[in-house]
Amino acid sequence: MTFDEILSGTQQELRRGTVVLACLLLLRQPGYGYALLEELRDLGFAVDANTLYPLLRRLEGQGMLVSEWNTQEARPRKFYRISPDGERLAAELLADWNRIDASIRRLGQGGRES
Amino acid sequence: MSTLTDRYVWGVVRAVPTAQRADLEPEIRALIGDAVDARTAAGVVPAEAERAAIAELGDPERLAARYTDKTLFLIGPRLFPDWRRLVSVLLPIVVPITGIAVAGAGLLAGNPPAEVIATGISTAFTVGIMLTFWVTVVFAIMERRSIPDLEEELVWTPDKLPELPANDGVSLVETAVSVAFLALAASLVVWQQTGSLVTIGGTSYPLFNADLWSFWLPYLLGLIGLQIVFKLARYLRHGWSWGLAIANAALDLAFVIPAVWLWSEGRLFDPGLVAALGSLGVGAAMRPTGIVIAVVLVAATCWDIVEGFLKASRASRPQVTATRNR
Repeated sequence: MTFDEILSGTQQELRRGTVVLACLLLLRQPGYGYALLEELRDLGFAVDANTLYPLLRRLEGQGMLVSEWNTQEARPRKFYRISPDGERLAAELLADWNRIDASIRRLGQGGRES
Repeated sequence: MSTLTDRYVWGVVRAVPTAQRADLEPEIRALIGDAVDARTAAGVVPAEAERAAIAELGDPERLAARYTDKTLFLIGPRLFPDWRRLVSVLLPIVVPITGIAVAGAGLLAGNPPAEVIATGISTAFTVGIMLTFWVTVVFAIMERRSIPDLEEELVWTPDKLPELPANDGVSLVETAVSVAFLALAASLVVWQQTGSLVTIGGTSYPLFNADLWSFWLPYLLGLIGLQIVFKLARYLRHGWSWGLAIANAALDLAFVIPAVWLWSEGRLFDPGLVAALGSLGVGAAMRPTGIVIAVVLVAATCWDIVEGFLKASRASRPQVTATRNR
């Protein structure tokens, strides 16, 4: 295994789950599949189309997102938006993220609590 | 003519339950449409843009499986260790027993040896395939449907840890006993001809057909010599190795194949002895007895060969020595 392979494998593991949080936070403003994919990519999340779209639907099924068909434009699109439960989930995940971030930062600065 | 998009959408929706289709189809169409538009806006030819957008979404069946949370494997990591344990316990037991039982039944029915061997092997093979297939089917179902009783059974506990393999080093006593036994066998081969091993009605008969002295009995003595060398080599090497297991298999086969063949041809035993036994009225019992002995001999040889390889494989693995309880 080359270093690059190890790096990409580890990065994939590290990033797993962050897409869910990013989606929830982005969808505080209603958004549709392709636009969301572009936004996530612009933000530096390397997410595949065929991972993101089923993920949106799963979050909808779990009640974390709600959806609505917008038929006013030439192409009907399904718009997703965060639900109250989704907000709670996002808040918890965000708090978790901040805790992990703080711990990792401390470790990165070489400070081990003793 | 249907477009790539139509074909792709069809590929996805046909793999999801009907209830989800009505909603999923327009969504996927919109997703592809948006992706195509973004590419054409960047200057890509429409046909190329459609191709690229669809290629990005990948195998429709895989996408459908992600939408419906379907498992894309037969047996997953949760059940695989149990599946492998079960198959690797069942196969080495059931397959040889079936083969030997079928072959034994064939011999008792008086079928020709070649046919008996072929039937035994093909039945054992079929049973092995069937066994693996049905175990796999059950596990594949368990992967998809929860079967509470079975799953409780499968929960791993420390009690399920295997015992440490026994030390396969061969002891001096074991080696000495087998060498002595082999030497005794060799002297019996000579003595049965010259001495009076079997005496019926005051006449001594040799056990084996005297014609075999032209080749087969010296060959047998040679084999016994090689067996002695083998036992000593195994002792000096402190146990089994792949080379010794192969040598063991070769020696076993070199003995059992000619023995069974000579017996089936009626050339093994002294004709005078056979006639004398016949006159005692035990002639009728001789063939079934011979068959039973032959089957046991073949089974024991098979086991000895398999055991040699098992011990060699164990010996080639890193050894763990037991720690004492403190």
